Amino acid sequence: MSRSIGLVAVLLTSLAWNTAQAQANKLNLFIWSEYLDPSVVAEFEKKFDCKVTVDLYEDEAGMQAKLQGGGKALYDVVVPPDQTIPGLIKLKLLAPLRLENLPNLKNLEDRFINPPYDPGNKYSVAFQWGTVGLYVRKPKDIKLDPSWGILFDPAQQIGPFVLMDTARETIGAALKYKGYSLNSTDPAQLKEARELVLAAKRRSQGFENGVGGKNKVLAKGTMAAIVYNGDAVRGMSEDEETVFFVPREGGEIWVDNLAVPAKAPHRDMAEKFINFLLEPETAVKVAKFSQYASPNKAAKPLLGEEDLKNPAIYPPAEVMQKLEFLQDLGRKTRLYDEIWTQIKSK
Amino acid sequence: MKPSRFWLGTTAIGLYLFLYAPIFIVTLHSFNQARFGAGWRGFTLRWYRVLWDNPQAWSAMQNTLILASISTLIATVLGSMLGYALHRRWFPGKRWVAWFLFVPVVIPDIVMAVALMLFFSLLREVIPWGELGMTTMVLAHVTFQIPFVALVVRSRLVGLDPAYVEAAQDLGATPWQTFWRVTFPLILPGIVAGGLLAFTLSLDDFVVSFFTSGPGSTNLPILIYSSVKRGITPDINALSALMVLASILGTVWITWLQQPHKAKEL
Repeated sequence: MSRSIGLVAVLLTSLAWNTAQAQANKLNLFIWSEYLDPSVVAEFEKKFDCKVTVDLYEDEAGMQAKLQGGGKALYDVVVPPDQTIPGLIKLKLLAPLRLENLPNLKNLEDRFINPPYDPGNKYSVAFQWGTVGLYVRKPKDIKLDPSWGILFDPAQQIGPFVLMDTARETIGAALKYKGYSLNSTDPAQLKEARELVLAAKRRSQGFENGVGGKNKVLAKGTMAAIVYNGDAVRGMSEDEETVFFVPREGGEIWVDNLAVPAKAPHRDMAEKFINFLLEPETAVKVAKFSQYASPNKAAKPLLGEEDLKNPAIYPPAEVMQKLEFLQDLGRKTRLYDEIWTQIKSK
Repeated sequence: MKPSRFWLGTTAIGLYLFLYAPIFIVTLHSFNQARFGAGWRGFTLRWYRVLWDNPQAWSAMQNTLILASISTLIATVLGSMLGYALHRRWFPGKRWVAWFLFVPVVIPDIVMAVALMLFFSLLREVIPWGELGMTTMVLAHVTFQIPFVALVVRSRLVGLDPAYVEAAQDLGATPWQTFWRVTFPLILPGIVAGGLLAFTLSLDDFVVSFFTSGPGSTNLPILIYSSVKRGITPDINALSALMVLASILGTVWITWLQQPHKAKEL
């Protein structure tokens, strides 16, 4: 027995020694899976002689919990979506960016500089943006009316469909169908949305995450699903019988951002990394890999007509007008949580 | 065939189908040419090749094995000692210890995970140690493995005929000799089975791992779970298939060890 304890001690010491070995140039990236082209990371490692460690999270709540539980002193770059940023700032989980280290910030389109969720880009820089809409298998005989009614109006239903397994997206779709704001906190409007979603749930095949819904449409298991546009663009390249659109009533637009956690161990390298991602050549690779839209103005000429003219990636102006950002509703988020629990449990 | 037998058979088949069909489908898809799981498009080993060339998967595999081996070793030693003490010795508060042993077994994973994460975060406030990483992951896994090992070892001890120990003592063996020459060989299969159980638990654990991991200590469950949610590359199916295979082999081994006639040979 004492021998095995000795063995454990040796193993533990070697382990501690292994983790304690520090290299000067390191960067710890905390990001969604398959969101950043591995060749971009490799290029950065080579150019700046830096070892990049990529860790993954699968939803923003998990990411935030991890930052709160000590991750803010472990990771150097995280990729939070727009509506979570005010909350992260309030919880003091993000470090202010030193804009003098980010000369490439000027490459961004004007509307992504100084965004409402982070005035003056004090804490975040836009990375990729996209929309939430409907991914549909084209019906053979009827002309498709691009409306949220495909889910919420039994008369417009084109066949079986799935809803998205996140509260803000699915309730938001119902609010939009009724012509309300995605960020409505009016109890009467929310009640209407709840009834719509409940009725739709009964006719639906249940809830899926974005990728699951897309796969179900591709596999001909369902006719329509609420998805993120990048996933849909990938799907459309597999099967031309499918199409993505933001319904005519409007929908959600989102921006994922690069940010540095409050006590990031390699803050300088983190800013070098962000600046590197803002270079036009890098931004093009990032966009081509994920099939989301690039906020990078300087990258536009390099992107190619095919992507730029694809309405599923870069919505035309009339659609852009109808898109709405999710807002951090603060304490009123509870309203959505309540409705969502009712919807899921009934 | 008697009707009762027929129903037993049907229920058994239905039950096994229910349990194994999803696993079978994942395995099947790991050989599917279709990139997005949209129907069957022919057999391929391509995703296993892609997986082979994926450095992230390799490092996750390495982390998983290091984590599972070290945590299992610690948990098996501590858990066996605990199981033995609970069976053989009386000490103050023994009943409480025995009861509390069940808490980590029944507590939801997420509660355990967040509790551990907060514990480490609190620890960092007091002493300059507790950075999330491989070491905290090992400690967290040991925490949930110990009760399983202790319970298995203890149940093995309960099934043991006390006559063996009494005979050894009658013949003049010291307690130390009695333990190493008689008790230990007899409960060894229980210890090994408990250890293997702990190993597979560590191999599969996502929730506790996610909340206690740090940069670069991503293990396979974290990699698989976060990739499935975005669900784009089919090599994750291949990886899942391999993990299922490893878990099945481990379980078969445990079952084999727990068979009484095999156990005597050991």
